[in-house]
Amino acid sequence: MDLELIKKLVKLIDSSGITDFSVEEGDTKIKISKRSSGSHAQPVMQPVSLQPEESSPKREMPALEKTAEARPSNLHEIRSPIVGTFYRAPAPDADSFVKMGDSVTPGKVLCIIEAMKLMNEIESDVAGKIVKVLVENGKPVEYNQPLFLIEV
Amino acid sequence: MFNFENFEIKLDTDVIGRNFIYCEEVESTNAELLNEENGIDIDGTVLLAEKQNNGKGRKDRKWYSAKDQNLTFSILLKRKISERKVNLVNFAAALAVSYTLENLFQIRVNLKWPNDVLIGHSKISGILIESTIRGSKINKLVIGIGFNVNQIAFQGSYIIPPTSIRKELNQEVDRERVLSDLLNNFEDLLNRVDENPEGVLNDWKDRCRMLGEKIMIQDENYSKSGIFEDVDEQGFLMLRTDRDTVEKIHFGDVSLR
Repeated sequence: MDLELIKKLVKLIDSSGITDFSVEEGDTKIKISKRSSGSHAQPVMQPVSLQPEESSPKREMPALEKTAEARPSNLHEIRSPIVGTFYRAPAPDADSFVKMGDSVTPGKVLCIIEAMKLMNEIESDVAGKIVKVLVENGKPVEYNQPLFLIEV
Repeated sequence: MFNFENFEIKLDTDVIGRNFIYCEEVESTNAELLNEENGIDIDGTVLLAEKQNNGKGRKDRKWYSAKDQNLTFSILLKRKISERKVNLVNFAAALAVSYTLENLFQIRVNLKWPNDVLIGHSKISGILIESTIRGSKINKLVIGIGFNVNQIAFQGSYIIPPTSIRKELNQEVDRERVLSDLLNNFEDLLNRVDENPEGVLNDWKDRCRMLGEKIMIQDENYSKSGIFEDVDEQGFLMLRTDRDTVEKIHFGDVSLR
């Protein structure tokens, strides 16, 4: 291949508005790409492509924060008044007192907490919908531990 | 038949048993007092049934009692009880039964954690306390007591073999006198839970022969063994395990290893 021909082609393309050029002659192939400063082209491109990705989670974040802020206002927590064991049903083979999605009224029994041989029926003090059961059946609970989330 | 006059003449309480409800037959005396629809709201109310069709224990275990022969009753408490002292009511109830056995019949008891009353290795009384709690305040506390008095034959199978006062003494006793004495004791013990909880704990410990022994605590999900070291100020069992640490136990069936 004629080196002078390549030099000429480079000069010609550099001074033109052409960014990509290729020519084939027999089994010789010349490909010239003009992307601002050559090998730096890719790293330059990357931040450009990243920018929209970065901005999309940024746009979601405020949305998440908004729902987190909204929680205390319409979600009521039922907490354990005593230390004991949490039961969702009155007997081992019985149905649960309540499940997710159930509507409850004040006085509705939600669970039993057993301490020694004292079975404490925990009643709802609000009307609303059970959105979360926070403790597994048969697990120990501490004073003031959240048990249920109720949407009021 | 229950003789009210004999009962009342011996009753020496201010509040407990002053409102007295007598039923021939109910599902469960605890359930009757817990049921809001019944509108029973007076502190100290005692509901006695000659027959319970669904007398219950822990985890829906059944309490069988022959009609007209024993005492199956529940006591309603509506007064303010601190959540931290509520477990001591378990001990107060077991001690009320114990004092009656000791004072009226000179029978020596053996208390099993948390609130069974045994004579030797046989059970004479079982207690189940139920409460309703709304917004972290105790609304109602119902103490259910089954006390074998005059029953001699016990059919069926039991986790712990049953006995009765009559079986122990070989003579029939006056149920009315037993109940009034027990309620007198219980009112006194409730006041002591408030004023001198350590004294109630010590009285209970004096009658618990498993203290200091190797025991096993079981429930359907777990089984632990160790030395029954003590009960804490709330009545929880302090178990010294093999790893030489002390664990607090809140519930379970205790047996000697």
